[in-house]
Amino acid sequence: MGHLITNYYETGAIILFGVGFVTLLAHGNLIKKIIGMNIMDTAVFLFFIAKGYISGSEAPIIRSVKSATGYINPVPTALMLTGIVVAVSITAFALALTIRVYEKYGTVDLNEIIKMGGE
Amino acid sequence: MNFLALVPIAFPMALAVGMHFVEFKNESYKRAYLLGGVFLNFIFAMMVIFVANPEMHIFKINDFMEIYFKVDGMSKLFITMTSILWIFTTAYSFDYMHHEGKEQKFFTYFLVTYGVIVGISLAGNIFTFYIFYEFLTLSTFPLVIHTGTKEALASGKKYLIYSFSGATLVLLGMILLFSVTGTLDFVPGGILEGVAINNRVTAAYVILFLGFSVKAAMVPFHSWLPAAMVAPTPVSSLLHAVAVVKSGIFALIRITFYLFGAEAVNAMHVRGYLSILVALTILMGSFVALHQENLKKRLAYSTISQLGYIMLGILLLNEDGLTGALLHLINHAVIKITLFFCVGIIMLRTGYKTIGEIRGIGKKMPITMGCFSIASISLIGIPPTNGFVSKWFLAMGGLQENRAIFVVILLVSAILTAAYLMPIVITAFFPGEMGKELENSEPPLMMLIPVVVLTGITVAFGLFPNFILHFIQGISRSLIG
Amino acid sequence: MYNSYPLIIILVLFISAFAIPLFKSIKMARIIGISAAGISLVLSILTLIGVKANGAYYFRVGHFDAPWGIEFHIGIIEGLMGVLFMTVSMAVLWFSIYSIDHDLSKKKVPLFYTLVNLLVGSLLGIVFSDDLFNCFVFIEISSIASCGIVVVKDKKENIKAALKYLILSSLGSGLVLMGIALVYSLTGHLNMAHIHEALVSIYPEHSRNMLIAIGLFTVGLGVKSAMFPLHTWLPDAHTYAPASSSALLSALVLKAYVILYIKIIHRVFGMSIVGDLPVLNIVLLLGAVGMIAGSVLAILQKNLKRMVAYSSVAQMGYVFFGIGLGTTMGLAAAIFQIFNHAFTKSALFLSAGSILEKTGKKNISDLKGIGKEMPFTMAIFTIGGMSLVGIPLLSGFNSKWNFAVAVIEAHRVELLAVVLISSLLNALYYFPVIINGYFGEESLEGKVYRNTERPLKELLPIIVLVLGVIYFGVSGGGLLSLIEAGIPALN
Repeated sequence: MGHLITNYYETGAIILFGVGFVTLLAHGNLIKKIIGMNIMDTAVFLFFIAKGYISGSEAPIIRSVKSATGYINPVPTALMLTGIVVAVSITAFALALTIRVYEKYGTVDLNEIIKMGGE
Repeated sequence: MNFLALVPIAFPMALAVGMHFVEFKNESYKRAYLLGGVFLNFIFAMMVIFVANPEMHIFKINDFMEIYFKVDGMSKLFITMTSILWIFTTAYSFDYMHHEGKEQKFFTYFLVTYGVIVGISLAGNIFTFYIFYEFLTLSTFPLVIHTGTKEALASGKKYLIYSFSGATLVLLGMILLFSVTGTLDFVPGGILEGVAINNRVTAAYVILFLGFSVKAAMVPFHSWLPAAMVAPTPVSSLLHAVAVVKSGIFALIRITFYLFGAEAVNAMHVRGYLSILVALTILMGSFVALHQENLKKRLAYSTISQLGYIMLGILLLNEDGLTGALLHLINHAVIKITLFFCVGIIMLRTGYKTIGEIRGIGKKMPITMGCFSIASISLIGIPPTNGFVSKWFLAMGGLQENRAIFVVILLVSAILTAAYLMPIVITAFFPGEMGKELENSEPPLMMLIPVVVLTGITVAFGLFPNFILHFIQGISRSLIG
Repeated sequence: MYNSYPLIIILVLFISAFAIPLFKSIKMARIIGISAAGISLVLSILTLIGVKANGAYYFRVGHFDAPWGIEFHIGIIEGLMGVLFMTVSMAVLWFSIYSIDHDLSKKKVPLFYTLVNLLVGSLLGIVFSDDLFNCFVFIEISSIASCGIVVVKDKKENIKAALKYLILSSLGSGLVLMGIALVYSLTGHLNMAHIHEALVSIYPEHSRNMLIAIGLFTVGLGVKSAMFPLHTWLPDAHTYAPASSSALLSALVLKAYVILYIKIIHRVFGMSIVGDLPVLNIVLLLGAVGMIAGSVLAILQKNLKRMVAYSSVAQMGYVFFGIGLGTTMGLAAAIFQIFNHAFTKSALFLSAGSILEKTGKKNISDLKGIGKEMPFTMAIFTIGGMSLVGIPLLSGFNSKWNFAVAVIEAHRVELLAVVLISSLLNALYYFPVIINGYFGEESLEGKVYRNTERPLKELLPIIVLVLGVIYFGVSGGGLLSLIEAGIPALN
């Protein structure tokens, strides 16, 4: 139990990940699914950045040269910037498709759409 | 490199393709093309097996997958038999198929099947054999569903499912065997030298035996054969009394004596179980045949029973037994094709299909029914016909093994054979009221000649069996002893 | 000389993809798209030749050394995949010249070429890259692009299928990203070789974390490459997409993720760790179940393309089956199956698509007598079907043979039954189509036959694919030994 509290960033990330995962799977509403997807991604971002954070260090913006130990690890932060870009583009694409689905089917509930079938 | 062996395989296929490009001015040109082609291929085949005697490795994918052809006694026997019967069937089919329709399609696949059968006989290892065995299913399938009716399609589907299931078992057996031996060439006496007979080898044999016995119509895998009788008569006769089922038998001989060897099979202690199935095949085929009203179906069940004899001869694993099996392989082919041809003539000329309808038909077509009677007597095994000779050897083989039960089975089945064939003969010659006026309904010469000649061969084999017997005994001595 | 070609291939494809929209003509889109693919094909062949001669190598993108910069790892397997991907996509692009107009509105055609080049480029990126996060970025690009080529045909079924695909696909990427995060938190590296070193040294105390990470990768990539119970998105997406897209999706997209999975198992974790965990047994089990269940589901389908799509599930089952065996021969058989399935399934999808396009009939029962109307197309379909059934001298038979050998070598003879039953089941759904096509016409009396055959010129790309099927069937030994030679470099 102690570990869970000490590593509260990671614990929080995993809980968020679970929340996102279940939302993505269990909800029929497409918008909710997309929200779930975003929560999942955010959880991973949190997890990653927490891994790179060193308590008491500065952000790696170098004004005057200190030893490397003075800064937090910049790699996860840089990676997560890429991750955020990717997540945003996927979200945009999914939302665009959802709009088209609403135009064609008149609903954003995936279960209803599947029931309509058509084919 | 000697590509000669490919000629008799490829030539019929080329003929089949040619069918689509050549415009025949009239019917007789087409007949000349087909009959000439088949005859020419017979000569090619004879030259290849008796003169050139090639042994050739076409190409090799890996140790397992190698296309390899070889000529030995078994392939000589099988090729000669099928080639001669093919010529007769071609001649017989012209008029029959003229009546049935879609001749172009029929002869195309008919010719392709000929090439495939030659490939089966020449195959020098079981992989090559397996390839042609699969092609045989594919090329005969269109012939089975030739009429295109719902019933034909259903039978065709049954045929495919049975055949492919069998082939899958064969593949499984091949892989298992290969994992033990590392080679799959056909060698007289087997390739198991120095290999311990363990469970895997035994399983391989049983699986291969069961897989191939699907085509050989062993009970309980037989039901496709009667169903396939919806095909036109030349197809039924040639493919389902001669080529297809006999290639199953041929395969059983190949695996038993050329892959595993008699000694190894004997050491496996599975012979007893397989013999039970075979005995069941013999008896059940005969009993069911008794109840068939449809003439072709009756002959189909009779085939199942007779194939059981041959499988019994193989499983006896002694010289006399194998001699009997090989003799019966040939005799049954000749006899059964004669019977089918006669039934086909009856169907074509009168439209009758069941035994009840043919009362008195012997007067209308004396030659046809005469031939039918001789062939029936031969199949029952009354001396001096050829059927007697092969059954004699089978019985001898059974006695050598101290299994009198086999002899009893043979005798019971011979009586049953009489019981299901003689009524046809008796009904045909029994004076009865025919619906139509009596007139000579003998078929055209092109159909009658094959029947008469084949009957002649039946009698000749019975009277002078020595020539062929000698050859066959040579084969069986080289395999057992 | 050839060292930088993999990067150039990806760049050529990406740059051409974004160049296409600049010109507003369909003709220019085709010229740019296909010539970029052509250049890439030539370069990938040169790379393969070079790798074959000199062995595997690392390529530093931007000349930064490994732990900091991104590296590509090019071995024989990666080289082979490059050639395979480019050959198939070349054939598909060639075919699309004649067919894509039929499915798409004029405005969308250049977009299709953009998406295809983007997709193929990102898939090659997944195959080549030795950096896990880089792989993730390529995975996301390929997710968007592959949904794009489904939805580029603006029908409501397509939108539904694409959305379903996108959601499950991003679920998969989320799991993969979480796996990467776990691995990174354990080792502090993203480069596969460095991760491997670090993982081996800390394995004993962190085995449970690693199990979770492998589990995340397995499920995440399993969703994307249609491992059996996770395949639910596949039938819709593959059925409704235009023929060219379906061919790409099943031939290439599924495969790139599997290659990544193989790399994660063998390069990142290594057999010494994975062999200790129960993961491979589960993969083996799921593969075996997929081989059977995919075929059973395919038998139940009435729609031709849907049937072919379900058959992909079964065929991917073989690949996972081979990976799950955990032996070198099993892996080689799986990679050979990737080749076999890529060629066969793309030929099947393109010919099924041609039939659908020319006759407008999508149900199997309506296709009676199609062999008379479209003899060549149907012949191609027949060869493809027979290859998957496992008729000798076609690549499918060789593939099954490899699996049989692998199974025996791994001393799991009982699994032979799975391989053979599955191939028998394949026969149960391909043969009815073929038989109805050629012989079923008798039951349709009075039907008027129109010759709806495509001109032979338009069938050439599919014929090229079928020739590949026959080539790998007749002389598959060469490819297999090449694969076996390449496997050590994976570790």
